[in-house]
Amino acid sequence: MRLPRATFPLAPPTWPAGVPRPAPERRVGLDYDHDWSRRYPARLVRAAVLDNVTRPLAQLVTPTTVRGREHLRHIEPPMIFVANHTSHIDTPLFLTTLPVDLRHRTVVAAASDYFFDRTWKSVLWSLSLAAIPIERNRLNRRSADVATGLVEDGWNLVIFPEGGRSPDGWLQEFRGGAAYLARRTGRPVVPVHIDGTRDALAKDPETADRPPGGSGTEGRHTARLRRAPATVTFGPALEPQEGEDARRLAARIERAVSVLGAEARSDWWTARRLQAEGTLPDPRGPAASPWRRAWALGPRREPGQVERRARGAAEPRTERSRWPDLRPRGRGGSRRQRGQRAVTG
Amino acid sequence: MSPRPGFVLDVDGSTPPLLMWNGEGYQLDRLPEGSRVLYPPEPLAALDDPVAAIRRALREPLGESRPLGELLRPGMRLTICFDDISLPLPPMRAPDARQLVIEEVLEMAAAAGVDDVVLVAALALHRRMTESELRHALGDRVYEAFAPHGLLTQHDAEDPDNLIDLGVTEHGEEVEINKRAATSDLLVYVNINLVAMDGGHKSVATGLASYRSLRHHHNPQTMRHSRSFMDQPSSELHSSNWRMGRLIAASGVKVFQIETTLNTDAFPEQFRFLQRREWEWSWRDRAAFAASSAAMSGAPPRIVRQILHAIRAPQAMTSVQAGEVEAVHEVTTRNVWAQQGVEIEGQADILSLALPYICPYNVNSIMNPILVACLGLGYFFNLYRGRPLVREGGVVILRHPTRWEFHPAHHPSYIDFFDQVLAATTDPVEMHKKYEEGYATDPWYVHLYRTGHAYHGVHPFYMWYWCAHALEHVGRVVIVGGDPAAVRRMGFSPASTLQDALEMASDVVGPSPTLTHVHVPPLLMADVR
Amino acid sequence: MKGLVFERSLPRFAAARLTSAFGSGRGAATGPLRLADLDPPAPRDDAWHSVRPLLSGICGSDLATVDGHSSRYFEELVSFPFVPGHEVVGALEGTAQAADGSALLDGARVVIEPVLGCRARGIEPPCVWCAAGHPGNCERVTTGHLRPGIQTGYCADTGGGWSAAGLVAHESQLHAVPDGLADVDAVLVEPLACGLHAASAPERSAEDTVAVIGAGTVGLTVIAGLDFLARKGLAPAPKALLVGARYRHQRSLAEAMGATAALPSDRLTRAVRRESGSLVVGDPTTGGMRLSGGADVVFDCVGSEDSLAQALATVRPRGRVMLVGMPGRMRLDLAPLWHREIRLVGSYAYGSERFGEAAPLRTFDLALELAGDLAQRIGSGRLVSAAYPLDRFEEALVHAGSAGRRGAVKVVFDVRAGSPAGSRPKAQRPPDRRPRNRRDAR
Repeated sequence: MRLPRATFPLAPPTWPAGVPRPAPERRVGLDYDHDWSRRYPARLVRAAVLDNVTRPLAQLVTPTTVRGREHLRHIEPPMIFVANHTSHIDTPLFLTTLPVDLRHRTVVAAASDYFFDRTWKSVLWSLSLAAIPIERNRLNRRSADVATGLVEDGWNLVIFPEGGRSPDGWLQEFRGGAAYLARRTGRPVVPVHIDGTRDALAKDPETADRPPGGSGTEGRHTARLRRAPATVTFGPALEPQEGEDARRLAARIERAVSVLGAEARSDWWTARRLQAEGTLPDPRGPAASPWRRAWALGPRREPGQVERRARGAAEPRTERSRWPDLRPRGRGGSRRQRGQRAVTG
Repeated sequence: MSPRPGFVLDVDGSTPPLLMWNGEGYQLDRLPEGSRVLYPPEPLAALDDPVAAIRRALREPLGESRPLGELLRPGMRLTICFDDISLPLPPMRAPDARQLVIEEVLEMAAAAGVDDVVLVAALALHRRMTESELRHALGDRVYEAFAPHGLLTQHDAEDPDNLIDLGVTEHGEEVEINKRAATSDLLVYVNINLVAMDGGHKSVATGLASYRSLRHHHNPQTMRHSRSFMDQPSSELHSSNWRMGRLIAASGVKVFQIETTLNTDAFPEQFRFLQRREWEWSWRDRAAFAASSAAMSGAPPRIVRQILHAIRAPQAMTSVQAGEVEAVHEVTTRNVWAQQGVEIEGQADILSLALPYICPYNVNSIMNPILVACLGLGYFFNLYRGRPLVREGGVVILRHPTRWEFHPAHHPSYIDFFDQVLAATTDPVEMHKKYEEGYATDPWYVHLYRTGHAYHGVHPFYMWYWCAHALEHVGRVVIVGGDPAAVRRMGFSPASTLQDALEMASDVVGPSPTLTHVHVPPLLMADVR
Repeated sequence: MKGLVFERSLPRFAAARLTSAFGSGRGAATGPLRLADLDPPAPRDDAWHSVRPLLSGICGSDLATVDGHSSRYFEELVSFPFVPGHEVVGALEGTAQAADGSALLDGARVVIEPVLGCRARGIEPPCVWCAAGHPGNCERVTTGHLRPGIQTGYCADTGGGWSAAGLVAHESQLHAVPDGLADVDAVLVEPLACGLHAASAPERSAEDTVAVIGAGTVGLTVIAGLDFLARKGLAPAPKALLVGARYRHQRSLAEAMGATAALPSDRLTRAVRRESGSLVVGDPTTGGMRLSGGADVVFDCVGSEDSLAQALATVRPRGRVMLVGMPGRMRLDLAPLWHREIRLVGSYAYGSERFGEAAPLRTFDLALELAGDLAQRIGSGRLVSAAYPLDRFEEALVHAGSAGRRGAVKVVFDVRAGSPAGSRPKAQRPPDRRPRNRRDAR
């Protein structure tokens, strides 16, 4: 069946051959003008979607335990949130764990080459997540200015200093962009650790990883969305100190996030003790072959599984439970328990 | 209550109708009075703590072997091979025995700092496994640590770059196996022993071999001299594999064999009645039988097939042993017999077998007529030690719908074998001479075997050779309820009911014949005195 | 005298198309074909002679015409009203000279070569094709002193085989039937000529794999033709002749006539794959099989969309597909034809065949020989499954339309005097010169 063809003026005109035509301008990537996504109509739509669609969906896919949110009560916004990055689920999930007032005033720094390479993508992510484009590797002057401007206007900023999702679950080196912005704006940095989203939706392995040979179907590890529990842990804010350069600040931020990771895996007290003893497990993973690094991550957790680590035990014992864990954790545990219960409201 | 051993039932007037599998469904049918029915032993108790048992086996190996921990060192080449999807049947409930064993081995390898580890599915000429089948056998943790990096491979018997020739045995049998496995510092083989034919040297010598190697024992002559191929001392198949296995060991390939046995708890709770003796069925069992057999006859075949192939058996490990191949296998064989052995006196004129929906070669697939013959006249017929259950010149009655249908992706060469080869001859020796070579080397079958999920082009021939001993031994084969055209193509006789089949059998074995019916699954091994 | 006549009538044509949806041949009951009283056509000059039909076959093209399914393409090439029936064995009235020049006596049995070329139309000089001995390709079929009509049986001036009133034939159309050949075998000469012509067309070698799709009359005549040419040494025998046929009786006939193997049509492509050792492109579980190699020559003796698609999927690159079964208007993906440089060649009727450097042979002469040969090999009359009198024409056409399903091959009309519909005033009957073969109508 042939459809009738629309002609000018319904369709755009063709340009005559003799007339010189200026190069059409494409405003995508870093040039994308995302101002509109912070105006009232867009903010309204985003708030509605985040609260009523994204939040229930995220809780369905990754039932999340949030810890340490009380730290946020004592910080004056705007602030810079810094988190580890393992999955595309991180951003929507993290936004939905923020308190409502912060949630609606937050922008997320997203890789311009992935999220802003086409116009429709730019529109989609700016609208739904308040994303702004930045480079993965080194912040250039213009993005830094834009980001600084936004923070000074009162917007909280979320940034993932690894520069991309972790390919194997272990932490990558933190780049200096977050630290630089913290120093320039003078705002506090809140470290966040997001654990378990990789089990829900992992990053597709690069084909470059694979040795040649083999007939191909095994290892075709297509992106699989699965239900898996997640833990989001907020830590105490870090203030940039006098005379501290960006690199040192970046290292301090990385350590803070690692401690939070240890806390997510065990508990707050054990993490603090290990930090004090200097025996925190290396967040970057063992220096070994890819299979051993994957092996060291341990078994995947299923939703409903309760992980308890006996003091001094090498690995957590996991049990399947259908009900949320409401059992008291022992003396003095009730206050911590309240903060640790799964997010409901 | 300790599990009861198997026994022989003498059918009399008060024997209720007995459960008989009929492919993708089951029925109740009466056997003539005076028949004998072999019932398998009840499932033995499983190990309480399989993981602890595995760790102990790895620490305390059998035979001349050091513990696994001492064999692992950084910088070594380690290859872990495991049995493919043809075992166990039906597929086990998660976690699979292979998953448990391989996770322990990998824990030790990670602790020892071994970086160069490759997992190889020992397929021989079977089809490649799909991602979900591999995940089921190995578990998600192992799969995700190895597959994305290409370190989980499936043996490709047609890849000239990945085969190595290890020489020739004293009987002139060429031994050619997977190169990565043969050139490793240590080859760990993880086996599940379902029947007495599996395991031992056969794991490596057959599972990792090429066509050039396999044709020396996968041929009519060897199968005719394996009486039965489940009974190792009397099996030429076994002797050939042992020669090859010893040559492999002698040429420097270090094999650490880990073998597991499973109990025969083949069916989950909803299908419990399939394992119980009919006169002990409770009202729940009777209701379950009635409901399920009605549903199966009403539903479209595709749905029924999906439901049946989704059954996961609650089979659990009853033993695990590790170390040197022959020492390990001796213990394993004893354990298999302990679970499955049943004694019976004398042979019968007629052997009756009711065939289920699954055999080693149609997991998640269709049982085509050739596989029906292989399951009945190959596997079940050979579940004996001593003498066959049926006398020479007797009749075998099988029960299966034997539909003329084939899975085009899994069994492409079977379609052509049925159309072309069986139309010309049903004699295994004849087809071995005239047609085998063409099918073994046809480029399309090779292509589908290497890149698709197809059994090798020569595989249908092996299915037919598996029947060679039975075809030589019995006088006639009757299939009850089978599609007449398909049954006749194979040279057998179709019958619509058991009564008709008995009439046809009387033509061959005379009036008032004796009949033995084997009530499998679950599996048993008959010790025929 | 009674005869079947096909008249131009649009409403009846439409009715025929509707009823034929219930089955091929059912258009006869409602369509433009009717049993009427006809006068015998008069020979226009000395070169034309009256022939009284004995047996007249029903062909697939006749069925398509009766059902209103034949392509609109033929409308300009026929003239209404016409009497169908071009597969005729009849008795000559008067004396004549046959096409090969031999003399024919009054009452001699003849088969008609129905193609109406320049010679029959009295066109001098003849067109290039008729001059070369291929009247089937005549460019002048709508001109000359006959009304338009590609063959006797589609022309208003000649009459046709389905009539007791008889037809007139030009002397170039007359071929004597040898004494030893029964009527039931002689009526097959025209279809055998079609099959032979198709079989002779492509250049073949002894290493060829040849596939034939369809084993109705068309397919069986092609198989008979291929086998005959091989046995006479006129063309090499193929290495393998594989036939795809839907019905079991067709398969056993095909194998009796010399096919290597005859299989159900859906398994033909697999057999060609095995024989030619080629690979399969794509996933055989979804949709049909496409071979990367294939047979050297494929004869499509069905002429439907599915058969042609199967032919294109089964032939090797640069191979030839001979389209023998009459096609109509169809939707077909020609990408394989283009990509694999396949030659799709139509094969219509007959004329003369050239083998190597030898002098051309008339197809009909070869077909006469083949008819006798076939009668000896598979039995006389084996391919004529039923004979009907003219007044049961609806039944006859339905039977012919469902021939395969009903285990039949060729259905014919028995027009002989003495059978109910064929009656003539006794005074005009010429003396019987030879014994009539009375064959029961079953």
